[in-house]
Amino acid sequence: MLQAIGLTKTYGTQTALHPLDLEVKPGEIFCLLGANGAGKTTTINLFLNFIEPSGGRALINGRDVAEYPLETKKEIAYIPEQVSLYRNLTGMENLEYFATLANGRELGRAKLMEYLREVDLPAGAEDRKVSGYSKGMRQKIVIAMAMAKQAKALLLDEPTSGLDPKASNEFSRLIGRLAGQGTAVLMATHDLFRAKEDGSRVGIMRQGKLRQVLNTDEFGHADLERIYLEHMHD
Amino acid sequence: MISTIVKQEWRLLQADRTLGAVVLLMGLLVGYSLYNGSAWVGFQRETLAGAEAEQSKRLAKLKQDLEDFEAGRKEPKGFQDPRSAGAIGGVTAAPHVAMPPAPLATLAIGQSDLYPYYFKLNPRSKQAILANDEIENPTNLLAGRFDLAFVLIYLFPLLILALGYNMVASEREQGTLLLALSQPVTMGQLVAGKVLLRGGLLLGLVVAFTLAGALVTGVDLGSGTVWLRLGLWIAMMTLYAGFWFGLAVLVNSWQSSSATNALTLAGCWLGLVLVAPSVANLLATSLYPVPSRVEMVQAMRRAGKEAQLKGSTLLAKYMEDHPELMPEGEKTQPDFASITYAVQMEVDKQVQPVLDQFDRQVTRQQEFADRFRFISPAILAQSAMNDLAGTSLGRYQHFSRQVDGFFEEWRAYFLPKIFQKTKLKAADLESFPRYSFREEEDAAITGRVGVVLAGMAAFSSVVLMVGFGRIKSARAAG
Repeated sequence: MLQAIGLTKTYGTQTALHPLDLEVKPGEIFCLLGANGAGKTTTINLFLNFIEPSGGRALINGRDVAEYPLETKKEIAYIPEQVSLYRNLTGMENLEYFATLANGRELGRAKLMEYLREVDLPAGAEDRKVSGYSKGMRQKIVIAMAMAKQAKALLLDEPTSGLDPKASNEFSRLIGRLAGQGTAVLMATHDLFRAKEDGSRVGIMRQGKLRQVLNTDEFGHADLERIYLEHMHD
Repeated sequence: MISTIVKQEWRLLQADRTLGAVVLLMGLLVGYSLYNGSAWVGFQRETLAGAEAEQSKRLAKLKQDLEDFEAGRKEPKGFQDPRSAGAIGGVTAAPHVAMPPAPLATLAIGQSDLYPYYFKLNPRSKQAILANDEIENPTNLLAGRFDLAFVLIYLFPLLILALGYNMVASEREQGTLLLALSQPVTMGQLVAGKVLLRGGLLLGLVVAFTLAGALVTGVDLGSGTVWLRLGLWIAMMTLYAGFWFGLAVLVNSWQSSSATNALTLAGCWLGLVLVAPSVANLLATSLYPVPSRVEMVQAMRRAGKEAQLKGSTLLAKYMEDHPELMPEGEKTQPDFASITYAVQMEVDKQVQPVLDQFDRQVTRQQEFADRFRFISPAILAQSAMNDLAGTSLGRYQHFSRQVDGFFEEWRAYFLPKIFQKTKLKAADLESFPRYSFREEEDAAITGRVGVVLAGMAAFSSVVLMVGFGRIKSARAAG
């Protein structure tokens, strides 16, 4: 579903992403681990066509995002680290807008309410202004957007940073449910615990290079931490 | 897709207090400017009505007096015979020639407070007529009046910039831009939706306020000319708004912060709306300075003094040149009226080179200003609005040509009678030349405004095309 073939990004003489080869299959959760500046967000931005690749290709469902930016965006949903919505509008109004942009038509309040119930937004919160929402609540709105879009792939950039353990756990449950429905998930994170818990595979990045890819069922939490630190201290 | 963005923008503006503040501010500014324009036009109409009433009264009295003299009910008394052509043509029947306010004059006062809109004519010197202005505080004239054109040219761009300076930057800063651009929508579509809603809203307000103002201030909306002018006015406003929105798009395409955008756009506003017109004015007056009024007055005085000294000689020479004007059965007898007119014509001849130089320089200034106006859309808009409101130099010159023509007609009628010492009768009043103002042809105005509209369209298209071109290729992240 998500595929990087020799995907590269350079800024002048600085290489932000060395040629990256990667594939995330439907239903799979691939976690990119790494310190700040490792190239995780660059990878996600390249899949979103937010930045232009210096080399290689980023494919979504077999289509190059640089060649088919609008078509490929119909297939993906994105959750940034700082989930920012229109503060003066309600959760429902935000959802309505982005869902209409995504689908090219209005889905209607009843349908959108179904998605909001699915993500467990507290009852009545949908008609309150987003300025009063917690980060967890804002994330639920964005996940509801992904559901409304029926995205085939989900790109998450540090989604659990700043969430309390309960909200973080709830978030993982929702992502797991989407993956269970066949959505391919690419998640950039610092959270080793969540990566091991939620991910099918984990990729460790450093200085723009994907150093190692691991299957999460082949090691424990302590092993992951050890391997990660070994890469960081190279 | 764009309709979704437009709807969202409407929702955002409604949720924000900015919209209410903009509508209120716009309403207040437009309301006050229309009140001001209306007051000025009202003052002009009142003055003209007063002048007309005074003239009718004067003519009625003259007619009565002449009839009384003819019937022997009264005897002429005093220094000058009231039946003489000099007294009648220069004083008692001296007509007012006026340029009434044009249909849309309440919208743009333009140069109508700088140039006289009526004269009291006499057959003596044209200069004496033109110099006979109403007294006005020059500081007020320099500052100009607060009219709708001022609101639209100076303040309307500020409202556009207030709504447009952060249309992309604020989305970027609050983080919603990335979420929006992760949907199947381009940056160009996002910005187009914003510009359409904000531009449509502001323009709609301006058009609605202008039409309402025109209606309230008594503009005849049943007239085809009025609708033609209003149509051109709205077209001009649309292009002008397009330019400022284009500039806002262009500045937003640089992906700077809202604060930087605001400063950049404020600088553009300052340069195009305030500095460029001042520079144009400064260059025009420096490159083509007109002779000072003092110089002209001194030339008139010198010529007048010299001519006075040889008054009788001048009259004799004039009669030599115009023997047909010699009174029958008389030798040239130097009476007061004849000498006065002979002297005045000599003064006119002497002063003419200074006046010609003045006219030439004003024409050059105007030609320069006409070319230079293409450096700023604000100058273009002002020039078009003045033309459409009938308060431009163009209409004044049109009036001035009519005054010149009528002055010659009046003079041609009275001068022979003055030199021939003809005594006029009540029946002669009917044969006096009559003046009525001929409005400029629509085609003349459309021609002048059409050039300006083309210039404005060029400005707007270039800025919008470059702005949207850059925005379309702008990336969501660095």
